Amino acid sequence: MTETPAVELRNLNVYYGSFHAVRDVTLAFPKNKVTAIIGPSGCGKSTVLRAINRMNDLIPNARIEGEVIFEGKNIYDPDVDPVEVRRRIGMVFQKPNPFPKSIYENVAWGVRINGFRGTKRELDDIVEEALRAAALWDEVKDKLHQNALALSGGQQQRLCIARAIAVKPEIILMDEPASALDPIATLRIEDLMRDLVQNYTIIVVTHNMQQAARVSDYTAFFSTDESRTGFLVEFGPTAQIFTNPKDPRTEAYITGRFG
Amino acid sequence: MRKALEEKIQHLKNEILLLGSMVEQAMRDAVDALKRRDVDAARRIYAADRDINNKRYAIEQETLITIATQQPMAQDLRVLASILEIAGELERMGDYAKGIAKINIMLGDQPLIKPLIDIPRMMELATSMLRRALTAFVEGDVETALAIPAEDDEVDALYNQVYRELVTYMIQDPRTIDQANYLMWAAHNLERMADRVTNICERTLFVVTGELREFDDTDAEATSDRPASQA
Amino acid sequence: MSVRPRFDPNRAARHRRARIGMVVFQLATLVGIVVLMALLYNIINNAFGLAAIEYRIYPATLGLDLETLPQTPRERLLEILETHLSPGLRRSLERTRPLTQRSNEELAALVLERVLQPKVLDTWPLVPSLLHTQDIVAEVHARFPQAEVRWVRWLNTRFLTRPQSSDPLRAGVRTAILGSLWLVAITAATALPLGVAAAIYLEEYARKDRWYNRLIQVNINNLAGVPSIIYGILGLAIFVRALEPLTSGAVFGAVAEGVTANGRTVLSGGLTLGLLVLPIVIINAQEALRAVPNSLREAAYALGATKWQVVWHHVLPEALPGIMTGTILALSRALGETAPLVVVGASTFITFDPVHPFSKFTALPIQIYQWTARPQPVFRNLAAAASLTLLLLLFLSNGIAVYIRHRARQRRLV
Ligand SMILES: Nc1ncnc2c1ncn2[C@@H]1O[C@H](COP(=O)(O)OP(=O)(O)O)[C@@H](O)[C@H]1O
Ligand SMILES: [Mg+2]
Repeated sequence: MTETPAVELRNLNVYYGSFHAVRDVTLAFPKNKVTAIIGPSGCGKSTVLRAINRMNDLIPNARIEGEVIFEGKNIYDPDVDPVEVRRRIGMVFQKPNPFPKSIYENVAWGVRINGFRGTKRELDDIVEEALRAAALWDEVKDKLHQNALALSGGQQQRLCIARAIAVKPEIILMDEPASALDPIATLRIEDLMRDLVQNYTIIVVTHNMQQAARVSDYTAFFSTDESRTGFLVEFGPTAQIFTNPKDPRTEAYITGRFG
Repeated sequence: MRKALEEKIQHLKNEILLLGSMVEQAMRDAVDALKRRDVDAARRIYAADRDINNKRYAIEQETLITIATQQPMAQDLRVLASILEIAGELERMGDYAKGIAKINIMLGDQPLIKPLIDIPRMMELATSMLRRALTAFVEGDVETALAIPAEDDEVDALYNQVYRELVTYMIQDPRTIDQANYLMWAAHNLERMADRVTNICERTLFVVTGELREFDDTDAEATSDRPASQA
Repeated sequence: MSVRPRFDPNRAARHRRARIGMVVFQLATLVGIVVLMALLYNIINNAFGLAAIEYRIYPATLGLDLETLPQTPRERLLEILETHLSPGLRRSLERTRPLTQRSNEELAALVLERVLQPKVLDTWPLVPSLLHTQDIVAEVHARFPQAEVRWVRWLNTRFLTRPQSSDPLRAGVRTAILGSLWLVAITAATALPLGVAAAIYLEEYARKDRWYNRLIQVNINNLAGVPSIIYGILGLAIFVRALEPLTSGAVFGAVAEGVTANGRTVLSGGLTLGLLVLPIVIINAQEALRAVPNSLREAAYALGATKWQVVWHHVLPEALPGIMTGTILALSRALGETAPLVVVGASTFITFDPVHPFSKFTALPIQIYQWTARPQPVFRNLAAAASLTLLLLLFLSNGIAVYIRHRARQRRLV
């Protein structure tokens, strides 16, 4: 791969208690590209994704082995603050989860709690910029102070993306960001991902292969072994994975001939 | 919506236009070289044909990837399917140019039995049809696409003229039979090229309306049959 | 060969079972409603009704109407007081404040208490009073030829605003209501912050796979089931005895008015009730915190928030309506508690209002308990009226809980 990696997994293993959820993943996610993680349900896609910004720390019995290299440093080193990791590696979730506050507050909150020192005006600008980047500004500019929960599902998800962008992350992780949305809202999110990838590295988990094919530049295919442990089968450019996979298991999966 | 797919389709259409102009250039060069009896130029057309073939494969590859990754539907799908088809047609036209170059080489250092007049006119007509047909395809201009096949009659008329003329030469002087036959082939290639332009126009109609039918059925039959029946 | 699935053809039996289930559930609900109605019936039945009343001087002989006593012309009231009060009493009243300077209401009250001097001879509950009015009137005439039969609403504004008294016609529950309100305030002030803080620790911070956290949790659950009398004994030992200097106000230099209350102050009572409801508040608050969707926490964490920011900015505000309703329900429970207060030493008979945390106090349930223990039938009516008051207070606090929940839901949706 000639691409520079934005984040690299090295021999990543994740355990939930005694359950070995993901085994030995070594994978470099290229910078300013969309990388899709696909694979059958329960193969550890979300687990891998959450390992990248230490969201697994919040699960009491989760345990990580191996390294996640971000900007030359293992984010699991003891001197790394997970709070800073999560600011710089943002996340968008499967179900849109805006805060039960105003649209404006949803975007501004993350900025404020990260120690933003600036005027109200500057904050307004940051909010507008984030909403524009998330292709939501035109729809909400007249109701910034209305409750975010009144928005449609697709708008809520774009608001969540705006919220993530507002704290200026380098990487945005998305865990099935469109699976709760209707097809049109889904396509809007996909377009948005293509726009965002100019400035961000995007790693998206999706159980929808077609979506992975549509939005991603690179695709990582995961599968499980007999003991339900997930592992990486194949990683490569999306065009190659979807027209000419190297691994027969990938071929079986993308042609729908295997779970 | 679906910006990625739209960008891909736009790119592929541009590639088709590019391939079309490569074919046009090859045909023009082939006829020119024949007219000037420039064998070196003919050899260069052989090389150009490899580029045309490669371009066609590249377009095909990219179209398949686009279909596989973008799951086009309806008109998008028809465009991509048509691009596959048109790329094939163009590549075949490139082969006709190569065929004319080959004739040029086979004629060796023989001088022409007559100066070429109608064959370059056929070439002008056919390449002009091709250029406009591709533009109509890219722009989804059904009206233009429907009008172009009528011009095929003109090409056919020229072909018939060339045919009669060469037959006259052959009857008058059997030593010309060899070269006249070759020239007949060159004219035939151009006539086939114009026919294939009609196929491109059919694709334009298909993309826009979803209707798949052959244009000017009777005309096409009649023109291609005539020399054969007379022979 | 395909196997044809065989389905139970007896759908009628399945429907019958469904109907039986429905009837059983409806009956269970009905039993609950009947019991509740019986309770309400019993209370209301005793809170209103006929009473046989005897006067030293009958209002009619003075041309007075009891209903409109304060509207009687001023001169007439003064004249009655002039002629019917003993000179000694009149002098002492004049010394306190000249009669002419007193308001019509005060004069009317004096006429009632000092001149007319009504006395309840017997009372009848609401239902017999309505059904057998004639018989009751006849019976009264036979037994007490002097007495007058009147309709009485035992729960009235005078009842709510008068302090305790040994005269049933003058007794009220103001002292008890104020005592109960003081208790609830102190209970809320201690149990709410402690309970919420503990709940936040247990839900948001404590690792549930640690044995000591599980132990704490089990203990709290069990404490919620401990009989309230035990809390009374605990309160007696800790607040009344061990912490007496604190709870009596001695260290603050405050001295309970009248007799010193020692540790038996409204503060001790409130703290005891605080202990009593603390486990309930904790469990309710934990429930409310657990109801906050995890997606909200994840959303905040994913933006680089610290635990404190997540809890303080999102989890707590989101759980607050639930915590508040849970707390109010717990306080309702405190409002109705008697046993621990008796043990801690609530006064059964005081006539002055609690004015600070170191006051002696009584509470509504204690008042009710005390009245039901009296032999005279009229106190039954007072107990019923006080019960009704307590019920209304409970309804009010539950209403507030419902309102808070409703408001919170609206806020989310706007
Ligand atoms: N918090 C958890 N505790 C225990 N097991 C979990 C937990 N989260 C996920 N798992 C298990 O780990 C495996 C991978 O889960 P996940 O990463 O969610 O899969 P995917 O996203 O690919 O569907 C599954 O077998 C799942 O049951
Ligand atoms: Mg998942």
